[in-house]
Amino acid sequence: LLLSFQVPQNVPRLEIEKARVRPLNSAGSTWRSLTSNSPISQRWASQSSSGKPSPSGPRIKLRTRLLVTCLFGGALFGSWLYVHSEKEKRRRLQRLEQLRKVAVGQGDFSLVDHKGEPRTKEDFLGQWVLMYFGFTHCPDICPDELTKMSSVVRLLDKDKALAAVQPVFVTVDPERDDIKAMTRYVADFHPRLIGLTGSPEKVKEAAKAYRVYYSAGPRDEDEDYIVDHTVLIYLLNPDGLFVDYYNRSKSDKEIAESIKRHMKTHVAS
Amino acid sequence: MSAPTAKERKKCWEARDLYWQCLDENKDNSSTCQRLRNGFETNCPQQWVKYFDKRRDYLKYKEQIES
Repeated sequence: LLLSFQVPQNVPRLEIEKARVRPLNSAGSTWRSLTSNSPISQRWASQSSSGKPSPSGPRIKLRTRLLVTCLFGGALFGSWLYVHSEKEKRRRLQRLEQLRKVAVGQGDFSLVDHKGEPRTKEDFLGQWVLMYFGFTHCPDICPDELTKMSSVVRLLDKDKALAAVQPVFVTVDPERDDIKAMTRYVADFHPRLIGLTGSPEKVKEAAKAYRVYYSAGPRDEDEDYIVDHTVLIYLLNPDGLFVDYYNRSKSDKEIAESIKRHMKTHVAS
Repeated sequence: MSAPTAKERKKCWEARDLYWQCLDENKDNSSTCQRLRNGFETNCPQQWVKYFDKRRDYLKYKEQIES
């Protein structure tokens, strides 16, 4: 391809070098001088006015050559881009298929929501889910994180083009957090927030599936206690696949942006 | 025993913040802040008081390390 940029042989090289080294601030005038005043164009002009122009004059030839080069190069580049993107797409679909297989049986739970309805992971397939584990007697971190999670959902709800995200709160204190306690608690945060509870065994299974650690502290005379637990907000995609998690240092805006990015790159099945 | 409501939580946090602010301003002299300490203890469950006391120590320690 480079060959087509060859300078007509009869043009002295030196002249071109001179034209090139002109200062940058006169780029426009450099071009003008190249096309009108420079010895090259003068030579061409004198050639064509000399009365015997060759059928394919160097001026036309150069333009045609450039055009052909650009078209050819563009087509080549375009087809390369296409092949590349197709390949990339295929690779991503394959990866997704693998991940979907992994998702089966991953992060499963069998709990009861704050309205008393049984809920499993399958019920949430097809939706983006934000999930947080905590307990209703939590002094500050859980309310903070649930407020943040609700704020993320509100931020995303503003963009009508996006699918609605489902916020979920899972208790790690099934002993005290019965359906009634969950109903009361979730109402403090977001109208769509779903609270999940269950038997201590079922809660243990759910927490284990998400590698959530929790441990109840010593009880005082009122039988009150604090539960120490993992503080993370999990993001599940519509395939039920765990795709990201956010710790306390992430702000509502940062999380919303991250979720938007995940939504953009997610390929619908 | 049911968990504190949103209103009760807010009241507790406000009492805690007032008490902590007093401690900050008086170089952690708890006798100067006794009145606010009482407010903190009446507005928060006992477990929370214990938790927040430890939490303040932790936050102070963190601050010290980071500075």
